[in-house]
Amino acid sequence: MAKKRSNAPAVHPAFADVPHEPGAPKPDPVVVAHGILRKFGGLTAVDVDHLEIQRNAITALIGPNGAGKSTLFNLLTGFDRPQNGAWEFNGHSLSSRSPAQVARAGMVRTFQLTKALSRMTVLENMRLGAAGQRGENIFAALLQPLWGAQEEAHTERALALLERFKLLEKKDDYAGELSGGQRKLLEMARALMSEPEIVMLDEPMAGVNPALTESLLDHIVQLRDEGVTVLFVEHDMHMVRRISDWVVVMAEGRIIAEGPPHSVMSNPAVQDAYLGAHHDTDLSEGQ
Amino acid sequence: MDLLIDTLQQLFSPLTAAFAIAAIGLNVHFGLTGLLNMGHAGFMLIGAYGYAIATIQGAPIWLAVIISLAGAGLFALLLGWPTLKLRGDYLAIVTIAAAEMVRLVGRTQALEPWTGASTGITGKEYKEPFEATSPFPERLIPVGPFELHGTASSSWWLTLVSWSVVALLIVLYWLLQRSPWGRVLRGIREDEDAVRSLGKNVYSFKMQALVLGGMIGALGGVSYALGAQVHPDSMGRPTTFLIWTLLLLGGAASVFGPALGSMLFLATQFLVKGVLDVFVPDDIVSAPQAETISLAFVGITLMLLIIFRPQGILGKRRELAING
Amino acid sequence: MTNALAWARAHSMALAGVLAVLFLVWLAVAPSTRDLFPQTLANGITFGLLLALASVGLSLVYGTTGLSNFAHGEQVTLGMVLTFVFHTMLFRDMLPSSMSDLSLIISGTLAVLIAASTGWIQDWGLWGRLRARGIGVVQQMIVSIGLSLAMLNIIQYFIGGERLRLDRKIRIPYDLGIIGIKPQAAASIIISLIALGAVAYFLLKTRLGRATRAVSDNPALASASGIAVNHIVRLSWVFATGLAALGGILLALYEEGFAFNSGGRILLLMFAAVTLGGLGQAFGALAGALVIGIVSEVSTLFMPPDLRYATALGILILVLLIRPQGILGRAERVG
Repeated sequence: MAKKRSNAPAVHPAFADVPHEPGAPKPDPVVVAHGILRKFGGLTAVDVDHLEIQRNAITALIGPNGAGKSTLFNLLTGFDRPQNGAWEFNGHSLSSRSPAQVARAGMVRTFQLTKALSRMTVLENMRLGAAGQRGENIFAALLQPLWGAQEEAHTERALALLERFKLLEKKDDYAGELSGGQRKLLEMARALMSEPEIVMLDEPMAGVNPALTESLLDHIVQLRDEGVTVLFVEHDMHMVRRISDWVVVMAEGRIIAEGPPHSVMSNPAVQDAYLGAHHDTDLSEGQ
Repeated sequence: MDLLIDTLQQLFSPLTAAFAIAAIGLNVHFGLTGLLNMGHAGFMLIGAYGYAIATIQGAPIWLAVIISLAGAGLFALLLGWPTLKLRGDYLAIVTIAAAEMVRLVGRTQALEPWTGASTGITGKEYKEPFEATSPFPERLIPVGPFELHGTASSSWWLTLVSWSVVALLIVLYWLLQRSPWGRVLRGIREDEDAVRSLGKNVYSFKMQALVLGGMIGALGGVSYALGAQVHPDSMGRPTTFLIWTLLLLGGAASVFGPALGSMLFLATQFLVKGVLDVFVPDDIVSAPQAETISLAFVGITLMLLIIFRPQGILGKRRELAING
Repeated sequence: MTNALAWARAHSMALAGVLAVLFLVWLAVAPSTRDLFPQTLANGITFGLLLALASVGLSLVYGTTGLSNFAHGEQVTLGMVLTFVFHTMLFRDMLPSSMSDLSLIISGTLAVLIAASTGWIQDWGLWGRLRARGIGVVQQMIVSIGLSLAMLNIIQYFIGGERLRLDRKIRIPYDLGIIGIKPQAAASIIISLIALGAVAYFLLKTRLGRATRAVSDNPALASASGIAVNHIVRLSWVFATGLAALGGILLALYEEGFAFNSGGRILLLMFAAVTLGGLGQAFGALAGALVIGIVSEVSTLFMPPDLRYATALGILILVLLIRPQGILGRAERVG
């Protein structure tokens, strides 16, 4: 059931005492990053002194094109290596871990260009997402009784998730036959199969049919309500304003502002960063 | 009429079985996992040398087979270690180079006492232990229109054993492909990063596939050697490309594709050569020339297959194993 | 330990260069090898130059289309075969025997021109159409494998399995003191240097050449800046097949003979040269080919000579371990 969202700029209780500045410490951070530097040749893509992500809240990462948001995403999830920097997840260092290790630790991500596996069915995609599968061991794989029960349990959870995301009737279709928006939903549902602690969504709204955006938003809010932390990169300011509890703004690789949505949008430094880069984004709407 | 019977006999000959086994190995590499192994003959050759040399040194059959499998596994580890982290075409180049190195090392005069260098190892040096296990009498035995020997070389016994191995491997492939392990590989085949983001160690899975497929390839080599001889030039690049053709014809990523492709193609090739032999006089097309024509035919088939029907006979277009 | 590995990777070029030079110097002075060293080095450089000529085309095609063309070996053989046919069946008998060299030159030139036209025909009739249908490079590569097998056997069908000679005269090697060079080798070196120089000039100084390099680098960007990518690709195929044929002719002269599989035998060495130099970098092919040539010849000083190619291939695999982008390649392009 979708939770009713208030349109008034109320601040999430956890952020009540957090100062509105870049690198602000959070009361209960699930991810803490420090001194991250990523250069490509002579170009500095990411230069973040300090960043903390609050547990069990929805944090948005915004900024004009080329600000380094996706690069930071890739760095935190192990898909890229920085020249410098360290970050922790629940106190454990993830700095030089591979993407698979990061995912197994409980930090799962989706991709800007959806990576739903088109040549597998929707249900198979979901089953792939489950963690700790005994049947993934080559020797155990040969003896079905060894992994049969687990597979059934995973399948049940998959079906429940598919129902929640309204994809149940597509379960036997090849993922390649779904629409773009449905594939996004599938990727999100699949990411939840391993019951992660934090879900990192890379532009979840990109290319999605406006009719589906509402239900996507609902799903994300539901995630937070169930205790999952959400960090997402977005260009869609409506979405950012509607559901995020906290916003981090990047420009030219650095974090230039942090705060609840309304205060960040009216921050002159933020508006400056967007001028000329994304002038079709009307930040003042809804003031 | 004899030609037709001989052609039918090709359908179930031990040679066809050997190639079917090798093709199943390649199916694990390419059909299941999307690995571009262009040096499969190298695995076959290692299997053949391993078995023959071990047998000559006195090892019993089971040990010789284990040695040939271990050799292939080691080779796979060595190949995979530098390349599985790189782009697909690097694996193609490395496997083709490595297979060629195996062939050249097999041919070198320096190792002549072990490998027989450029003449290879003749059958009678290593076939005896296997032939001794045959329950059939040591003579030609006719069964219907077909006649094979009971024990020697391409015998009824070898036919039985090698096709049983094919059947076993088909079951193995079927079991693996529908298991969670197989599912991860199918995911890797399409998009490695997606699979990584779901917590799977992609490198480890690819290596497992490389080792398994390589070992199966080695079994194909052993099977071939038991029916013919161990000769480095008979397991070179043309052999690798032949196995690719067989796999693609039958249908990569399908369970019965490798066996079907082997049977169909090799029987057809035999028929074409036979027809050329019988109906075309020797001064227009001699026997060696017929061989080259049939190999050219392999090449053209491969081209046509991949352009017009890459999923082969049994493959599913939607699940095409070939990434653009 | 991982820090040492990272440092080695970052400075791999310098390290490799220093080690290689040290090793060569040692070979030059060690009593067991120093007598033969200069000759093997000269042979290696010669073979490397010829290999470079044959491989540049492979690199050009890979750079502009992404295709690893397994039939490139047969393009090399084609040059040898065409020259042989024209020389022995046509021109040699038309000219007095004292001018058989001229016959060779005419035949060779004609062979290169015809081979170059097969490149045009291939791109027009096959590769261009496959690209237009959206068929991916992996599938195209397998098509080239089939083509290679077909061409190899068709060539064998026509010229048989024995070794043939382009040039039947016995010629006395030039004695340059520590090394000897046969006149065919000397001619091959000079011609290949001229040809390679022409290729370098083309790529560096002409508008078309710069456009070719742009397409190799980034076809989408090149197309967006107005370059007619399809024309450049067609041109690359013409050059690739023409240069391969020329390389083949010179190789057949240098090795004093050829067979139906001469080109196929060195296909792997050409791939090794191109990969070593950096996939898609035309100058890389030159650098890589020289390395492969020198390695394979110098290795005969301490390894059995019939393993010379195996050594070169082993070096390739080793290099891919440490520096997968090759000598001239850029680090970001890989994996």
